[in-house]
Parts: sequence; C-alpha cells; structure tokens
Amino acid sequence: MSLEIRDLTVRLCSKKTSGKAVDCCDGINVVDSFFLTVKEKEVVSIVGESGSGKSFLGLSILRLNPPVISKIIRGEIRVRCSSQKDKVDILKLKQRELTGARGRLISMIFQDPNTSLNPVMKIGEQITEAILAHRKVSKAEAKDIAIFYLDSMNINGKFQFASYPYELSGGMRQRVMIAMAMVLNPCFLIADEPTTALDVTTSLQVLKLIKDIKERSNVGIIFITHDLTIAESISDMTCVFYAGQVMELGKTKELIENPIHPYTISLIKSIPTLSVNYVPKQRLSTIPGFLTEDDFSDGKCRFYSRCFRSNRDCLKNIPLVHYDTDSRYVRCIKI
Amino acid sequence: MEKITNLKEKNAILTVSGLSKHFKYYKTLFDIKKNVIKAVSNVTFDVLINEIFAVVGETGCGKSTLSKLITGLITKTSGTVYFKGEPLDYGSRGRKLRKDIQILFQDPYSSLNPKKKIYKIVSYPAVKNGIIRKRDRVNFAVSQLKNVGLQENTAYCYPHMLSGGQRQRVGIARCLSVNPELLILDEPVSALDMSISAQILNLLMDIQEKTKMSYMFITHDLKLVRHIADRVCVMYGGKIVEIAGSAEFFSMPAHPYSNVLYDSMMSFDFKSKPDLSMKSLSRTRNEQEKIKPVKNSGRNIGSDKEYTKGCVYFDKCYASKDICRVNEPPMENKDQGGNRAVACFFPFSRPNP
Repeated sequence: MSLEIRDLTVRLCSKKTSGKAVDCCDGINVVDSFFLTVKEKEVVSIVGESGSGKSFLGLSILRLNPPVISKIIRGEIRVRCSSQKDKVDILKLKQRELTGARGRLISMIFQDPNTSLNPVMKIGEQITEAILAHRKVSKAEAKDIAIFYLDSMNINGKFQFASYPYELSGGMRQRVMIAMAMVLNPCFLIADEPTTALDVTTSLQVLKLIKDIKERSNVGIIFITHDLTIAESISDMTCVFYAGQVMELGKTKELIENPIHPYTISLIKSIPTLSVNYVPKQRLSTIPGFLTEDDFSDGKCRFYSRCFRSNRDCLKNIPLVHYDTDSRYVRCIKI
Repeated sequence: MEKITNLKEKNAILTVSGLSKHFKYYKTLFDIKKNVIKAVSNVTFDVLINEIFAVVGETGCGKSTLSKLITGLITKTSGTVYFKGEPLDYGSRGRKLRKDIQILFQDPYSSLNPKKKIYKIVSYPAVKNGIIRKRDRVNFAVSQLKNVGLQENTAYCYPHMLSGGQRQRVGIARCLSVNPELLILDEPVSALDMSISAQILNLLMDIQEKTKMSYMFITHDLKLVRHIADRVCVMYGGKIVEIAGSAEFFSMPAHPYSNVLYDSMMSFDFKSKPDLSMKSLSRTRNEQEKIKPVKNSGRNIGSDKEYTKGCVYFDKCYASKDICRVNEPPMENKDQGGNRAVACFFPFSRPNP
C-alpha cells in the first residue's frame, strides 16, 4: 500500500475567467513541485502557516481544487491499495473513475465540522448516502455499517443515528466527519486541520481517535496542520510547507530535534516551551513579516524575505538538497 | 451599593463578587416553562493593578460571557462588579467606563468594519471620547499604528487588505487609543498562526510593561497562560474551579479539571507528553459521553438544570465520590501561602513531575 506524489504543481489563474474552466497558465504556482510518499500505517503531517497553500494541496490530491481558478499542470499521484495489482494515477483518471476513487482510495476530513455537515440531514442519512453511492448494499445493511462505524468513533450509533448536526457538540461532529470518511474503508486519509476548530481537551480526543484508527485499519494518513506540536504528537514524518514548496521533510523526531532549514528553526523557536528552567514573560522569538503573494514568485528562495540567514545567493534558484540520511530533504543552500 | 473598603489593601482594579448571568430560553416552540442556562454563576475574583490575569476554560464554560458582562455588553442577573472601588454601572457613566475598560475581540476578521479605512477605525474611539479633534485623526492614527509595529501606509488601507496578524494589531491599536486601564483580551491569538501569535503576544507583553495596565487574558490554551500570566483562573460550567498564582498553578494544578487541561497541553521538551493511547481516555470526557449519551443538548457542560446541586465537574471527574453529587464544594484556600483557592473536596496534592 503506498501513495506517491511526484512533482505535483498546481497553478492559479491570475485573470478572471468567465466561469469556464479554461487553460490558464499565467498565475502563481500555489503548489510547486510537491513530492511525498505515504505508506500504510504511516502518518505524515504537513505543517505550514495560513496562506501557504496546504489546504489547496489537500484538495488537489483528490482533484477537488476549484476548477475555474486553478489547474494541476503537472505531476503524478499514484495510489496502490492492498487489493490492487497496479498503481492508479489519480491525475489520469476519468471523471467517472475519479468519483469512484474518492472516498474509496483516498478520503478526506475537512477542517470545520460545523460547516461541513449538512444541517438539514440527519447524520445517519449523510453516512449511509456515502455507502449507498459506492457499494451495492441494501439500505438496512448500509444503516448497520453506519452504526458500526459511529460506534467505533465512540458515538452511540443507534442513539445518535437520527440526530441532526446541531444536536451534537463540536467534538462529536468532528467524529461523525471521521466516521463518514472511514466508512468506505479507504487506503489513505487526508485530514485537513481536523482539530483547529476544537478545544484543547476535545482536540486531544480527536487526535487519540485518529491515532487509534491508524492502528486498527492500516490506513495511511496525511495530516495537515499549522501546529508543530500537534504534528509532533501524531506523525511519523513531517513536511514543513511554505509558499507552496516543501521546505524540509524528514522523520518527525529528527526534524524537531535537529531542524536544518531556517524556517523550521524559527517556527520551533516561536512556540512557548514548557521546560523547567523557563523564565515567564520572556519574549518569544518571531519570524518577521508575513507571507505575501510575492513570495510565490519563481527564481528565488521563497522564504528569502523573512529568513535570518538570507543573502544575495538566495536569489538564485534553490535546489532541493538531499541530506545525509535517506529520508531528509531540505530546500536551502546554506546548510 | 457601597464602595469596597479594603481596596487599598487588595490593590485591585477590578473586583467581581457573586456575578451571575442566567439565560432563559424555551426548548421547543410550545414550551410552557422557561429553561435556564447558568452561563456564569456566582463568580468571584479580583484583578490586581498591573497584573495579567488569565481565565482558562473550554468552549461554553462562560468565559466570553464573563468578558461581556464586565464590558457591559450584556446585563448581569445578579452580583456586583467594582471597578477601582466603585460599582460598575454603564447606565450613568457608560462613556467614561468604556474608555477605561477596553476589549480586544477574538476574531480579527469580523471585528473590524470592512467599509472603513484603518485610520478611521483606530481614531474613532479617541474622537468620540474627546481626546483628539477630528482633524488630527490621521496623525493620531499613524502614531498609534506605529506603536503596535505597523507601517504608516496601513492607515489608508481597508481591513481586507491586511493579513490576520496585521488586523489583530489594528484591533490592539484601537483599544490603546483611549489609554484604558483594564484591557480584556478575548482569545486574542486563537485565530492566528503560531509564528504570528508569537508576534502578537510579544507586542502585548511589551505594551503591558510600558503602560502598566492590567490585562484580563481569556484563552483556552494553557501554554500561552504559562507564558504570559501572573495569576490563573480556571472556569468550568460557568463556575470558577481554581484560582492560583501562575507559578503555583503550573507546579501543581489542584483541581481535577485543571489537571485534565494541564495534561492536554502540547509542546516540545515536555517530560510527560499527552498520552495518545486509548487507555487514557477514561480521564477525559470521552467515556462519559459513550455511557450516557445526551440527546438534545448541544453543549451540555454544567449549564443545565440538573447540575444545580453538587459539583459542576461531578460527572466527568475521575476523583468524584458521593459527596460531590450532593454538596457543592466551596472555594477554599488550600495552600499555606494563600495564593491558591480550589473548589474541590479532593484536590490533587501530588507534586507534578
């Protein structure tokens, strides 16, 4: 079981088109030469700040990126499930095959559970709808499956099957979303900031649940977040993402203990620590400035304007450096 | 209402005693009797001069209602709030009080008027309070924006042209434009990224050191509290369950709920990391929800009628015994130093590793 993303590039349209999907190759690359490999039972987190294009990346993997304003211009997304012999390239599928693949091969949990559930449908109906669309089962069987999956998410399935989303708390809604994503037993799961809209205690429960699902069902997870501490607690591999590019990719433990890219270093420093010899009200170190559209332009390092190490050399094109161990990539010329 | 006498002794800028807010609503259209939600019930605390006082709790525990009560945006049900020794009354001295107590809202995307330019947003409170004349407002706004680390040219921008961190800075500039004595920060960084939130926290701490004002810092993230606060107050279900000095609190949270919050804190170089295995679930609310599913109550924490007797945290607590169901634990000083008050019969006494 593996998911391989190679050289994925998604471009935004700069000109406004008249509502039709046209060939527009003049905007910025919102995802630029992205690569990633996810194996079964592996959690890979993608960490980046808002505006860095990480949600767009999550959508693009399922080809859910808005068609009028963006286009996948190159790359390949190869998926192989345990049941298949050959790899399927998501980008080469026809629309009809793609509909079959979504939810079955790769599934997705969206960020805000309050807005991503249909408010006028019972949660049980929303889950059975997904089952009936993909599998040849009767309605009664679909209901049993839905109740089973709700139960496995620590929700009393029989009791809550006929609830409307407004009757549930935020954490329960997010668990319904996860049940809905898992109900077709996908090989891979993309979780787009599943805990951002939740409290600390509730988000911890959701994280535990995701970790438990991974153990039980061999699913490979791409976990998109903006919080490095969450990434550390859940993931095996971490990919630091900035302005559409992979800045650093490596095993989570190594990456956090020994960050190499200036962006990763500053990101880790900006988090309040909980160490014992810590002085209260000490100023946190910050990254000056903020992410702008200019940072997405080609031909220079995209972190150039905010980097503490940058000089004129960084204005040249930045190669992706392969670091000593086999699974460490750093996009910086000053290491 | 009489003034507080021992004000000098306490050195408090804001004294809240027995404050309650009950919301009434009908469950269904044809309901005969009204249901009561006790959003804030019988809350008592002080905010000292030149202090950062943090209020921590999960969604729906009443911390935002508390901030709205203090700023006079909603009316209280009972209790008193004293500001600098005088009862808080927005009816007769509203304008003056609004100048002294300012609030910074949670979401910078919805708290700025999208139709107004930044200099108008920033200078409006000062113009209304007669601090500056209307013709000086551009210069005034520019100087205020510089204080919070924004460039001059942002004065002529509209809010949609700015990023989240910049907008939150504009919000801070607006609060500071009238030189308040108490600033209420209602989750100022929860809508922002890690690196941007670090910038905003630094700015807030710099301002506090410079102007010596008092902050009431409302948040759900204990990590930030440890970083910024002098004293911590933990709320659950509309009630305060623990008040302690920051150092005391983080060396050993006493209330069981504080411990759950403490354990869910995530950071690096933290010795006991949050346990993400399914075994540790019994300590949180999860198992309880599984056993007793509650229908028709979106947020069922401590606010419904069934909780009127006993401890608010009773049904989710891992240390609860029969006494907790019947009697409400009083707020007691459990520390020799008097720097900690806990509302629990069985507070934690183990030293945290």
